[in-house]
Amino acid sequence: MDKDLILLFLQQGIVSGMVVGSVYALLALSIVMIFKTSEVPNFAQGEIFMAAGYCALFLLVFQATPVWLAVPLTLVVAFAGAALFRRVVLTQVSRASGSPVNLVIATLGLSYVLKGLVRRTGFGDTPRSFPALVSTDGVMIGQASITRLDVAIFLTALAVMAFLFCLFAYTKVGRAMRAVGMNPKAARLMGVDLQRIHMLVWGLSAVVSAIAALLISPKILMTAEMGGIVTMAFAAAIVGGFTSLPGAVVGGFVIGIAENLVGLFISSRAIVVAPFVAIMLVLIVRPQGLFGGRVAIKKV
Amino acid sequence: MRFLAIAVAAAVLIALPLVTTGYVVYLANLLLTFTVLCLGMHIVIGETGQFSLAHAAFYGIGIYAAGIAGTTFGTPFPVSILIGGLAASAIGFVIGMVALRMRDIYLALATFAFGEAMQWVFLNWNAVTGGPNGLRIAPARLFGLELVTDKDAYPFVVATAIAMLVLTVIVARARLGRSFRAVRESEIAAQAMGVPVRRTKVVAFGISAFFAGIAGGMFTLFSTYIHPDSLGFQTTILVLTMVVVGGLGSIGGAVGGAIAFGLISELLRQAPSFQEIAYGAILIVFMMYAPKGLFAFLADRFRGARHA
Repeated sequence: MDKDLILLFLQQGIVSGMVVGSVYALLALSIVMIFKTSEVPNFAQGEIFMAAGYCALFLLVFQATPVWLAVPLTLVVAFAGAALFRRVVLTQVSRASGSPVNLVIATLGLSYVLKGLVRRTGFGDTPRSFPALVSTDGVMIGQASITRLDVAIFLTALAVMAFLFCLFAYTKVGRAMRAVGMNPKAARLMGVDLQRIHMLVWGLSAVVSAIAALLISPKILMTAEMGGIVTMAFAAAIVGGFTSLPGAVVGGFVIGIAENLVGLFISSRAIVVAPFVAIMLVLIVRPQGLFGGRVAIKKV
Repeated sequence: MRFLAIAVAAAVLIALPLVTTGYVVYLANLLLTFTVLCLGMHIVIGETGQFSLAHAAFYGIGIYAAGIAGTTFGTPFPVSILIGGLAASAIGFVIGMVALRMRDIYLALATFAFGEAMQWVFLNWNAVTGGPNGLRIAPARLFGLELVTDKDAYPFVVATAIAMLVLTVIVARARLGRSFRAVRESEIAAQAMGVPVRRTKVVAFGISAFFAGIAGGMFTLFSTYIHPDSLGFQTTILVLTMVVVGGLGSIGGAVGGAIAFGLISELLRQAPSFQEIAYGAILIVFMMYAPKGLFAFLADRFRGARHA
């Protein structure tokens, strides 16, 4: 491979990687948000993402709902569904045993229910394409070529991240969420309603995943299996240390760029193995992740 | 009560090949294989409170390792089965050692990603696994004895399953089993008692991978063909559902769950589109209302009714 080609591939890989990476970052943020407050890695995050994508597809294509209505409606459905799952199912699961293992199993259950439901509706049996809301004309950045849609994806994702940052830094409810993540008991003593915060976090996390689905769906063929993308997001979260929100963002970009470079330089077929390799590499080289601190030992 | 259960189980196991047809014996072989998978899952999740979401991958490693050993190199089948188990546990130990350096939950995430990576390897490593064409497995051999039909294989499948069951009981009663449960209940308390927490978790995970590998070896006794499609996450979820239905944390539950839910899932085959919803709903409902499994749930109800 000569030098020019390598340079071109590098640019293309990094620019395309930033675009997909921003979507991974959103998914990783939704995972980390829940993990920080509930200590549960939500294995249904990919399926929440997938189901939200299908919800939007159903509204836009099959019901011909206008975009300005379909998008908020999808987000509301995602929020309500996830908040309800947290309130009804997980509350009961912790009451029944309290073991974190059981909560994780319940999220695995949710992922299968959602996948099965989407298949039952009949939309999930064949790959579907999602209408692009932004034109797919080409844009050149350096020597890398992407589409207007890609630019829109990237900017929207950044806007969502900025919104989340402001939410957690400056609003009362955002600070309450962080407080619950640090020490639930102390937060409750300060008058924070844990149940409500948990519902809000799950709802918010689902909304962020739904936005990720709306962004990426026009670029891929939708199938009931598209939630598998969550493996990339888990890898991104681990790269970032799993409890750090900025870490999740950086991890998302790292994984997105790494995926594209592997695809360009090695083989697009090797991408499936990339998240596992990335996870193992991080755990060997820097197990606390880029932004993770020491793990606090839970007292008896 | 326990003696009665064992007597009934023994009677059924002996009578089965005498009174039924080939398909039922095949099903029995398969359920016994899944019983061993469930025992492995029981050790890591039920006893130690850790997650292994790559059970299907280790099962696959066992199948390919044992199948290739028997088919290409003509090893006698007890050796092939052992090779399957050792190959799976060797890989399991390495992953466990790396993944358990930080948080417990990284084991779940790393094995989740490992499961997908392995399925890809099974599908693409054509030279070894036959890739998408699958792998033909020659009949298992031992000193001129050849296991051609399901009925031929049945006694050996039963023997292996019983051996693994006995091994599970031995581990559970030994110091190792007690340290598994100590880690599950409280890591700090376990550490204070001198239990090396991280090593215990890695050992539990390695043993569970060994069980899955042995189960893979058992599969090669009665099956002639394996395709990577049947080694995906779906299979891991099936095993997890079996353990959950039987009851997390009890050996009887793992065995009972494998048999009871194995039969249910055989019926669900008639309606594949409901399969995923059924697995998912069962996991959720059991975690909500019967976290100790079906048998404990029924026993509670029964006792409650008598007292009332």
